[in-house]
Parts: sequence; C-alpha cells; structure tokens
Amino acid sequence: MSVKTPSKLEMILSKGHLAVTSECGPPRGSDPEAITKKAELIKDYVDAINITDNQTSMTRMCSLAACIRLKQMGLEPVLQMVTRDRNRIALQSDILGAASFDINNILCLSGDHQSFGDCAKGQNVHDIDSMQLIQTVRRMRDDGKFLGGDDIARPPRMFVGAAANPFADPFEIRVPRLAKKVNAGAEFIQTQCIYNLDKFEEWMKGVRDRGLHEKVAILAGLTPMKSAGMAKYMKNRVPGMDVPDAIVKRLSDTPKEKQADEGIKICVESIQRLKEVPGVKGFHIMAIEWEEKVPEIVEKAGLYPRPEV
Amino acid sequence: MIVGDQKPLEEIWEMIKNQKKVLVFGCNTCVAVCHTGGNKEAEILGSMLRMKAKQEGVDIDIKDSGIERQCEHEFYEKAMETLEWPDVVLSIACGVGVQFTAEKLGNKPVLPGLNTTFMGSVDSPGLFTEKCQGCGQCILAETGGICPVSRCAKRVMNGPCGGSTKGKCEINKELDCAWQLIVDRLKALGRLDDYEKLAPIKDWSNERSGGPRKIVREDLQV
Amino acid sequence: MGEQAVAVKEDVISTVEKPGEIPPEWEPKILAFACHYCAFAAADLAGVMRLSYPMNVKIIRLPCTGKLDHYHILRAFERGVDGVFVAG
Repeated sequence: MSVKTPSKLEMILSKGHLAVTSECGPPRGSDPEAITKKAELIKDYVDAINITDNQTSMTRMCSLAACIRLKQMGLEPVLQMVTRDRNRIALQSDILGAASFDINNILCLSGDHQSFGDCAKGQNVHDIDSMQLIQTVRRMRDDGKFLGGDDIARPPRMFVGAAANPFADPFEIRVPRLAKKVNAGAEFIQTQCIYNLDKFEEWMKGVRDRGLHEKVAILAGLTPMKSAGMAKYMKNRVPGMDVPDAIVKRLSDTPKEKQADEGIKICVESIQRLKEVPGVKGFHIMAIEWEEKVPEIVEKAGLYPRPEV
Repeated sequence: MIVGDQKPLEEIWEMIKNQKKVLVFGCNTCVAVCHTGGNKEAEILGSMLRMKAKQEGVDIDIKDSGIERQCEHEFYEKAMETLEWPDVVLSIACGVGVQFTAEKLGNKPVLPGLNTTFMGSVDSPGLFTEKCQGCGQCILAETGGICPVSRCAKRVMNGPCGGSTKGKCEINKELDCAWQLIVDRLKALGRLDDYEKLAPIKDWSNERSGGPRKIVREDLQV
Repeated sequence: MGEQAVAVKEDVISTVEKPGEIPPEWEPKILAFACHYCAFAAADLAGVMRLSYPMNVKIIRLPCTGKLDHYHILRAFERGVDGVFVAG
C-alpha cells in the first residue's frame, strides 16, 4: 500500500501495523496547558491524537489551534472538523490553515446538533454535509483545486477520515453508508464506541462482503466506562449508542469502588476480541476526561510499544 | 401552506396598549387553515384584547376585520375604507401579509400578531408539520419525495447522521428522522440502490443565501 | 426535571388573579345557548308546565349548538356575562 500523504497514521497503517489513536477534548477556556497536559499523558501510547471540534456543541477552544499545539509538541494530530459551524469558505480556509502547519490528518463530521450545547439558540450552517466535506478535502488534495474550481497553491496533504456508527439506524444501510463514504474518498474510519461486539462483528462481515475493508482502514472506537452510572447514561441518553444490558449489569454487579477498573477490563477485553476481527486495522480509544487511563489500556491490550515509522 | 403561531397575548398587548384605535386584521387563506390568523381568529383576538383593555382600565377602541388574502392587491379593494379608520393595524397574516399591508398603508403602523413559522401540511386536525423551506432547487426526485432540507435538523444531503435512533431524530424522540423516512420510501419504491448515489454539493444560491428572490413572468405582466 | 416543572407551575399560579370579595347579594349573570330541537324545547316545555327557573339566566335559541362559535362566548363575557351555559 503506497502512501499519498506525509501522515504518520497513514504510514503506520500502510505498513500493516494496528494503529492506535486517541482523542483530547479542548478546554472551555484558553489555557493551552489543558491540551498539552492531556497530550503528554498519552503521547507515547498512541500514533495520532484527535482533537474534537466543539463536541456536543459546547463552545470550546478551536480544534485547529489545539492541533497546532500538538504539532508544536512534535505529535501527530487528527483535525476533527464538523460542518455544523462553518460554511464552505470557512471549511476550506481552515483546511488550508491546518495544512500550513502540516497537520496531515482530518476527520470529517457533521457534528452534534447545536441544541445539545451551550448555544441552543444559535444557527447551524450545514452548507455541506460530512460526506461532501470528505469530497472537498480529497478534491483540494488530489486535484489541488478549491470547490470553486481555482487552483490551490501548495494543496493540503491530508489523510482523510470519517466516522461510522455501526449501531445507528436504519441498520440495513449501515454498510451501504460506509460504501458511500469510501466512494466519497474516506481513507480511514473511526467508529462510534463499540459495546455491542456481536452487532459490530455483523457489520464488519457486511463490510468485508463488499470488500470495503480493503479500501478503507477501519479503526474500532472504544470508550472505557467509569461506572455503572455512565453505562446507563450512555445506553439511555446518548443518541446512536448501543450498550447491551450485559455490560450495564456487569458494572452494576461490581462494587462501586471497583467499577472503574471493571470498565477498563471490559475495554481491554473488547480490544482483544476485536483484534481478531478481519478488517479491523486499529483502535480509536476515546477516554472521555479520563486520558490518564489510555496508557494502561494500550499496554494491557498488548498494543505497546507503538511502532516507530 | 404557510403556518403561523399567534404571539402571546401579553406580547400583542405590549405592542398596542398605547394606541387609541386598533384594527385586528385577518387573512383568510393559509393562516386561517391553521386557525391562527383567519378572519374568525381576528374576531376572537379582538374580543380578547377588548377584555384585556377593560381589565387594565385602558381606553382603546379595538375592531376586527379581514380579507381573503393579504398578499394580493385585489383583495384590498373593498377593505381600504376599513383600513382608514385605525391608528394601527394588527395584522394576523403571515410575515408576507404584514409587509404587504404595511406597503399598502404607507405611513400607518402595521404590527404582526403572529410568528410565521413554516411552510407545511395539515397532517391531522390540529397537527401541522414543516415540509418545505423553499430552497429553490428541489431534490425530492432523488430523495423519494421526502425533503431533507426542511425535515432533517442538519439538512444533511447524504444522511442519516449517526444520531438517528429507532427512526427518530437525535434532537427529539418525537421527531421522525427524515433519512429513515427516505430509506424506507426508497425501499418501498424498489430504489434502495439509489441510496448509494452521492448527492452533489448543493447550490444554495437559489435559497435565502442568494439574497431576496423574485420571479418575473413577463407574459403575465400588465 | 420534576422540580423544574413544579417551579413553573407555582410561577403560573402566582400570576393568576386573586378572586375578589363576593358581596352576599350578588348573583351571576348566566347566558344559555340552547339548541332549538332539544334544550330550548325543554325550556319551552318547562314554561308550559309552569316550572320556573332563576331570573338571572337568559336564553338564546340557536338552530343548533354546532353554530356556536368562540366569538359568541367571548362577546358574552365582554358584555359582562359571568357564565355561559351551552345545552344541545
């Protein structure tokens, strides 16, 4: 597999290693240490770090600035970009800004609806959707052209990713939807948090049946549960999340002080099982406000040390 | 049709309380169908405001009237005399009617009694839902007759987003996911293969973004 | 959620007008809308039978109470009626 960009993530995948990525949410303030400290905790255990873009529509430090901080630390950021807040001018402009700092990975998303966040009375943009953002970045990179058709001087060189939620409805179009993203130009996929492994494996079978696993690198998304309460919340309140009763029960049956450890254990077991699923090319570990646990998960899952490329 | 929602009585009262002669002016087409701005609603609102004025001990003369449509010249002909009388007109038409009445009346204030909400259908008595946003470039042929621009909270052209759960939208469990409906409809039409066609990046220049729109039909102009 | 709902309810209640003192002699003025074919016929029959009903009720005959509109009831209140009775 030849590489098309200077992305370290792409390089690792092309060499056949299981990739490990994680994510950091920028702070609700301007303190750069909020990002750099989180990054310090995990940097030796992951290949690239996603920076979320105003996740759950809560206003935060911008993803691009936080990515630049990571870049300055010599790390590999994945710029998450949602189509909720920017029109096509701003999206292309920010892509160029990121490219000027040699940020080489982008994850194209539509973003949570603004009603979940602190600006519920604001407008959303959605000039283009996530699928079209993938196309936009690919066009900018491969053709060196803006959407308007003009040439770009020094086009961005980004490895283009997208999200996939194998658990959202309708299930019958979950595989076709991935095919559509691949067709749009997605090169890697980071999935929604996986708790229902059976359903994920069923989805992966559908993915393999269409040969999509050979066209796109699928990184399985995992979020360790801190408590039974979190499991219940994820199950009942987070849209598009599939948490089986067995997981909730397992955590509920664990004494409160040991639930966090049990959550880590579940996460590690999941990785062990998913490693065996053909077509899974790596893991995206989203330890929400629990970044310090990422090294432990990576080590216990046998994914440490990370390869040098 | 255009659906409107009557403003709270208090808000309307604040707008008119310092006036002497107020005409509540109904529009008997779209907003009459949704029972908020028709001539009957003008009678009701007029009565409510008269009672409010009495309660507050304020002396205002409040009358009501209405025409068939506040967005066309012809319908005003017989109403111009009535419209002479008040100091202000409280129009309970949609925003189009309010503006058109204001243009007709020159320097007389015309106030809105409704919040114009959307273009929609009467799904069942008392239930109105949005169906179109007038984007100026209809894509219903591609989406099985269900509009993602008006019916998807993120107006995604290649949906559904990851928030679609059990056929409902992430923002509200009562709200159908437009893309679930599209997928269901494509399936019913035997066209599920079309789902994988990428929707082209939309030209929004025919929509609000392109500035106020107008259509000229020279063959109809006199 | 529950607490918030209760708070809103109390807030609404606090804005509702307190009822004034009712003088002992006071009687409400009642307006009755009666259908020609049933309720009004009954009132008629009561008259024939020399049954009396209170003086503070005035009856308006309608061909059918289906004709009754919001506006008729509101106009009654506007003009000082205290209660409206619809029978049909």
